[in-house]
Amino acid sequence: MRCFTHPLLRRLLGLSPQSVPGGPSQSKGPICSPKWSSLRQSCSARPGLVTATDAVNYWKKVFETNGIPEARESSEYIVSFVLGAKTFQSLNSKSLYTPLTALQQEQIQQLSNKRLERMPVQYVLGEWDFQDLTLKMRPPVFIPRPETEDLVSLVVEEESWKCEKNSDLCFPVSVPHPVILEIGCGSGAISLSLLCKLPQSQVIAVDKEKTAVDLTRENAHRLQLQDRIHILHHDVSLSSAKQLLLWGPLDFIVSNPPYVFHEDMASLDAEILCYENLDALDGGDDGLRVIKTILALAPSLLKDSGSVFLEVDHRHPDMVENWLQAHPNLLLVLRAIHKDFCGKPRFLHIQKQSR
Amino acid sequence: MRLLSRALRAAQGCRAAALPPRSPRAAPVGSSAAGTCTQQPRRGLSARPCLNELFAAPSLRRLLESRARGEAGPELAARIQRLRDKEQELRDTRELAGQDESEDFRKLAEKEITSCEEEILELKHQIVLLLLPSEETDESDLVMEVTAGVGGQEAMLFTSEIFDMYQRYAAYKKWKFEILEYFPSEIGGLRRAVASIAGLEAYKYMKFEGGVHRVQRVPKTEKQGRIHTSTMTVAILPQPTEMRLQINPKDLRIETKRASGAGGQHVNTTDSAVRIVHIPTGIVSECQQERSQIRNKEKAMQMLSAKLYNAKLEEETKKRNSVRKIQIGTKGRSEKIRTYNFPQDRITDHRISRSVHHVECFMLGQEMLDEMIQTLREYADYESLIEIISENEKNNLS
Repeated sequence: MRCFTHPLLRRLLGLSPQSVPGGPSQSKGPICSPKWSSLRQSCSARPGLVTATDAVNYWKKVFETNGIPEARESSEYIVSFVLGAKTFQSLNSKSLYTPLTALQQEQIQQLSNKRLERMPVQYVLGEWDFQDLTLKMRPPVFIPRPETEDLVSLVVEEESWKCEKNSDLCFPVSVPHPVILEIGCGSGAISLSLLCKLPQSQVIAVDKEKTAVDLTRENAHRLQLQDRIHILHHDVSLSSAKQLLLWGPLDFIVSNPPYVFHEDMASLDAEILCYENLDALDGGDDGLRVIKTILALAPSLLKDSGSVFLEVDHRHPDMVENWLQAHPNLLLVLRAIHKDFCGKPRFLHIQKQSR
Repeated sequence: MRLLSRALRAAQGCRAAALPPRSPRAAPVGSSAAGTCTQQPRRGLSARPCLNELFAAPSLRRLLESRARGEAGPELAARIQRLRDKEQELRDTRELAGQDESEDFRKLAEKEITSCEEEILELKHQIVLLLLPSEETDESDLVMEVTAGVGGQEAMLFTSEIFDMYQRYAAYKKWKFEILEYFPSEIGGLRRAVASIAGLEAYKYMKFEGGVHRVQRVPKTEKQGRIHTSTMTVAILPQPTEMRLQINPKDLRIETKRASGAGGQHVNTTDSAVRIVHIPTGIVSECQQERSQIRNKEKAMQMLSAKLYNAKLEEETKKRNSVRKIQIGTKGRSEKIRTYNFPQDRITDHRISRSVHHVECFMLGQEMLDEMIQTLREYADYESLIEIISENEKNNLS
C-alpha cells in the first residue's frame, strides 16, 4: 500500500492510522463523502428505492470527489458486476430500475471501497475479459491490456496463413499441430486465447512468478483448456532452455514482456504502481532487458522459419532492428512491424531464417 | 400447396377472416402462459383447388410457355415438360377409362389417375417455387434495430416489450441473439436497441417485421384510464458476407478512449468502448456492450457493415419500382404494419388485414408470431408470383 502513505490521501479515505487497507473494518468506517450516509438513510427510510442507476450515479460522485480515475466507468462496472452483468450498457431496462437488495448494496459498497484505494477495477471484480474469455484477475499478477488482444489476432492470422499456403500445394503435407511458447504468461490471457482460437495447438506457458503460474493454471482449469497447456514456473534468464522443448522445436514464441523504460516507471498511475507486480512492466534502462533475452534464446527453440511475436514500446522497433543487425549469428530477421489500434508501432514479427 | 392458397384467397377478396378467439380450454391466461400457449389450428382450407385454379389461368400458362422457351433453368424446364407429359397422360388415361366397361380395368385406371394427379400437384408446387426469384439476402443473418416512436415513455415501454418478444422468438427459432446496443429509458423502457440475429433463414423470416408497430392501450403511466396510441419502429438489416461487401480498412477511423498517451503497459484503463466511422459515407457505429475491447470492435464492425450493406441495397431498390403491399427495406420502414390493441386483445397486421387474438400469447414470440410471419411470407410469395405473371403478360403484349 505504498500509495496510501500520503496523509492527505489517508484523510480523504477516512483511514485511521492503524487501519489495514482492504480490511473488513473499512466498510463501516466513516467514508469520505457525506452523501454516502444520505444514500443509506434513504434506503433505510424507504427500503428498496435505490436502483442500479442511483447506485452508479452515487458512487461515480464519490469516486470523482476522491480523484479516482475513470469514476463513471468504475462505478458502472462494479454495479453491473454485482447484478451479474459485464457492462452497464448490457443491463436490460428492468434490471436497471429494479430496486437493489440490501445485500447487493452491501456488495457494491465493499467493492467500491476497494476502488477508493485505487485498486484497479479488474482486481476489484476479481475478473476481466480478454478476447472471448473471462479470466480471473488477482494482484499482483499483471492485468492484460487491450492492445495485447491484437497480438493474439496476429499470431492466429499468421497460423491460418501458413495453413492456407500449405493447402495450396499440389501435395499438401499434413501440418503438425503448432507448438507455441509464451514467455511471461501472467494471468494466461495470451496462451489461453490462442488455445481457444487454434484448436489444434499446444502451448507451453512460463512465468518466473509463482503467483502468475498459479493464476494461469487456475484460469486454464476454469476454461477446461488444461489438456493442451504446460504451465511452468521458469525464469528464461536463469534456467536451462531444455525443458521448453518437451514438445519439440517451436512454431511460435509469443510474449508481452516487460517493456517500460525504467525511467518511465515512476510516472505510472497509482493503480499500476500499488498493485501490479512491477517486474512484469519494468524492462530496464532501454526497456529491452527481457526482449534481448527472448531473442537470444529464440534460435535454439524455434523450428526453421518459426516466428517470434512480441509486444513492445513504440520506440522499440528501430532499436530491435538495429540490435538484430548487430547479432547476425542469431539468424533472426524483423519481418513486420504492426501498429496497435491507436496507430502506434506496437507488435514485432521476427522470423528465424532457414540455414 | 397451402402456401399460395391462403394468399390467393386473400388476394381474390375472399380473405381469411380474423381467426376466432381460442376456445376457453385452450389457453388459460396466466403469468406462465408460455407453456399453455397452444398451436393455433391452421385454417382447414383445401389447398389443391387453388393451385389448380392458378395453373388453369391462361396467364400462368403463357408464363410457363415463355419460360420453357426462354430463360428457364434446366430444373424448371424439365419440370414444365414433365408437367405437360403428365397432363397428357392423365387425359389419355381418363379417355381410356371412359371407353372400357370392365370393372377391373376401371379400378386400375382410377388408381393411375390418382397417382397422376398427385404427381401433377407436386410438380406445380415445385414449379411455383422455382418461378419465385430467390433474393441475394435470403440466407443472410441480420441486424435488428428497434426505436421508440411517438408516445413518450409509453412508446419506450412498448419498444422494450417488442425487443423482448423478438429475443424470445430468436430463442424459439434456435437463432443466436446478441445485443449490440441498448439504450434504456428512465422507467424501464427502451429508447433504442440493436441486436444481431443469426441462424437458419433468419432474414427470410425477420424481414417481414420491419416497419412501424403501433400499440393501443391504457399506459401504466396514465392516471385517468384513457387509451393511448403509441408507436415504435423495427428496422431489419441483412448482414452481408465478406464476399458481398468489402470494406477498405483505410476508409475506417477507429476511436477508443486509449488514443492519447503511451498506451500498452503504461496504462491500465477499463473503458473499452469502440466507435467506428466510415469516412466516405460518415456512417458511424459504436459498441460498449463488452469488457473486451476487441469484442466491442467486432460488434461495432458488424453493425457498420450491416448499415453499409443496407445503404447499398436501398440504392438498388430505389431503381426498381414496386407496388407490392409487403415492402421490404426503406420504403417499408415508415409504413404502419401492425397494431397491438390491448383492450380488444387483438393484433392486426395491416398489410394482409389479418387479425388474431391473445396479445399476451402473441408477444411470447412463439407459435402465434411464427404463424403470422409464415402468412406474410406466403402472401409475399403470392404477390411476387403475380408480379412475374403480369410482367410476362406485358412483355407478350408489346
